Amino acid sequence: MAYVVTDNCVDCRFTKCVEVCPVQCFHVDERMVYIDPDGCIDCAGCVPECPVGAIDDEYNLPDDKRAWIEINRDRAAVLPRLTGGMEPLPGAQQRKAELGL
Amino acid sequence: MGMEEKIIGACPQDCPDTCSMIITKSDGIVTGVRGNPDHPFTRGRLCAKVNNYQDRVNSTDRILYPLRRTGLKGTAAFERIGWDEALDEIASRWKAIIGTHGAKAILPYSYLGTQGILNGLTVGDAFFNKLGATISERTFCDSGACTAYTMTIGHSAGVDPESFVHSRYILLWACNTLTTNSHHWPFIEEARKRGAKVVVIDPYRSRTARQADLHVPIRPGTDGALALGIIHILFRDGLVDTDYVAQHTVGADELAERAQDYPPERVAAITGLSVDLIAELAHGLSESQPSVIRIGVAIERQSGGGQAVRAIACIPALVGSWRRPGGGLLQLPLWAFPVNWGTFLRPDFIEPEPRVLNQWKLGAALTGEMALDPPIQSLMVYNANPMVMSPEQARIAEGLLREDLFTVVSEQFMTDTARYADIVLPATTQVEQEDIMFSWGHMYLSYNNRAIDPIGEAVPNTELFRRLAKTMGFEDPSFYRSDAEQIADAMLWDAPQMQGITLERLKREGYARLNLPSADEYAPHANGHFATPSGKCEFYSSMAADGNFVLGLFRQGYDGQQSGEPIDPLPHYIPPQESAESNPDLAARYPLNLITPKSHAFLSSTYGNLPHQRRQAGDQSVTLHPDDAARFGIAASDRVKIWNDRGAFEAVAQISPDIRQGVIVAPVGYWPSLNGGQATVHAITSSRYADLGKAPTFSDNLVAVERC
Repeated sequence: MAYVVTDNCVDCRFTKCVEVCPVQCFHVDERMVYIDPDGCIDCAGCVPECPVGAIDDEYNLPDDKRAWIEINRDRAAVLPRLTGGMEPLPGAQQRKAELGL
Repeated sequence: MGMEEKIIGACPQDCPDTCSMIITKSDGIVTGVRGNPDHPFTRGRLCAKVNNYQDRVNSTDRILYPLRRTGLKGTAAFERIGWDEALDEIASRWKAIIGTHGAKAILPYSYLGTQGILNGLTVGDAFFNKLGATISERTFCDSGACTAYTMTIGHSAGVDPESFVHSRYILLWACNTLTTNSHHWPFIEEARKRGAKVVVIDPYRSRTARQADLHVPIRPGTDGALALGIIHILFRDGLVDTDYVAQHTVGADELAERAQDYPPERVAAITGLSVDLIAELAHGLSESQPSVIRIGVAIERQSGGGQAVRAIACIPALVGSWRRPGGGLLQLPLWAFPVNWGTFLRPDFIEPEPRVLNQWKLGAALTGEMALDPPIQSLMVYNANPMVMSPEQARIAEGLLREDLFTVVSEQFMTDTARYADIVLPATTQVEQEDIMFSWGHMYLSYNNRAIDPIGEAVPNTELFRRLAKTMGFEDPSFYRSDAEQIADAMLWDAPQMQGITLERLKREGYARLNLPSADEYAPHANGHFATPSGKCEFYSSMAADGNFVLGLFRQGYDGQQSGEPIDPLPHYIPPQESAESNPDLAARYPLNLITPKSHAFLSSTYGNLPHQRRQAGDQSVTLHPDDAARFGIAASDRVKIWNDRGAFEAVAQISPDIRQGVIVAPVGYWPSLNGGQATVHAITSSRYADLGKAPTFSDNLVAVERC
């Protein structure tokens, strides 16, 4: 069990979460970040850092988000680890606004 | 919906990290918790146990009113009663027991279910000392390490955990940091960014070992031999800081001679490690300065655990790592906190010839196996759940079933111990009580502001003992101090460590660093100043002459009647009682060595009943090496039985090469009532003591395993 990044991260990728992760368990592709569930220690430090509320405990995910559990596991396994924050993607602020956040 | 309000609290659990927490409430209901991002050590993070603490507070399973048993013991059949009725029944039963058997027939049983200075370790001590009850010797955690550590370097705070950023070689010995001390990790990670090497010594590849630069998969119970092997190489290869040793230690020549008995070839055979690996550790500790060793609680839980800590505690002085910030040994920063323990312990209330009973012996004491005179006729449990966390589980259950035993349990939930009670009293959670908190993993004093009024008729432990004192007719005004008065008494506010810290500031900010040098400067033993009888690091211990002892803090303040078994003044290796090498006959029947680490999702047995944590932890598991699985015909997810002469429990098999062959791993904390086989790990552990401080021997178990 671990924390999971969900669809709100797509095309935002603010990466505030990465800056606070004590075990550097975030992995990244061109659109979003993913949590390696074997590396995550469940500290929840990343959750309040995300400006778009994309991260939650696996346990709390509603049914329509549970697919993200496997997506995080699969993508983290093949993508590079991110060790520091990055600039948000160009449309991030607009997407955040679209999400009503 | 009302205004959302935030209150600064502190995590109550028995964990080194003591996180500063921000509690959110709305309309008098706690709606969430999070870590306090301002806290320099815990930095806004909590953990798998506490992230959803609001669910614990608001659980519909909470015990909110006093209960009286209506059915058979152990069946959790209760009726609600009032507090007055409950207290009257307790008083009349206790007075009758005292009249017939004397007060020694009453046994308190508690530890650190909550860790606040008011509501935690010592909350009932003054009461039971005054009552004349049997003194409870509580050696649950670090007692053996404390005895060994005190003998060697004194009650030192040791290295500041924040100073680890300056360490060049970090040895995590028997410590799964990422599960049981996770807020320390960023400091270790920072050191690594600056070039430090991180080494983990653990019989299995824990989640911490997986993150390390080097994992040392030691055979369980042989850590003392490894430490002495390292010391052998330090002397052999000229790796000793001779100036430091000459100025600040006692007994180097005797230790060097003793270490002759532990050449690397012999140590390799004992520990299952290679000669080269042992040499690498010795050279790393000496040559990568400052080097630091962090020992976990598990180090003591073996027959020779105390002497293992003695040997390990010698190493930083031998290599001179105490000279600089980030060098030395980290065990319990608790000793940095000037807590006014005496005001809670009140050893002056103890009668001249009390009786002391070690808590590991609960099963034997209750069943009459110990032939106590007077026998235990009443048990009062608070801050503890012995049915899950004490050895000889079946024997404890048998004892708790005694019809003539009057059992009182104060609890938040219907634990597997509370199920056997005659009277259950409702206890508050941390958000419903006020407390001030030490830490045994960082240098910050914390304050827990009460966020909400107690739910139902639950009371803090402080109030529980005020009520009991009144019921028993105690007159000493100290029993009736309010929580605010106790908080004012809790610290030695004039101590140098407290300068600049006021209660007002603590309440407002939630934490304050003790007035110590900064972590960039703190090197407590750069110039010796060890709190031992000689003032030096005692390789040859002068305190050994008085024999084995348990610190008074763990025995209600009582220092008499210590067991006093002879102690070798020099560190040495004591093999496990139960291993293939030490007991081949037993190993022929029980070929596997079981170790019992803490679960990632539970804090000992706490949270073992909550849906969120149970889902994360899964069922009671046991992990085997693939070769052992093949040998015993076990496949992943098989339900298996694990047993020895003491008992049996069932678990779901997991198979992993992360475990040493011959070792199996079953985490502790699962409740028997929620585990299919009606038993959990402590069904098979023994109540034997380790060599020092009456630590347990939970890593010293041979077992057999088969498919159910």
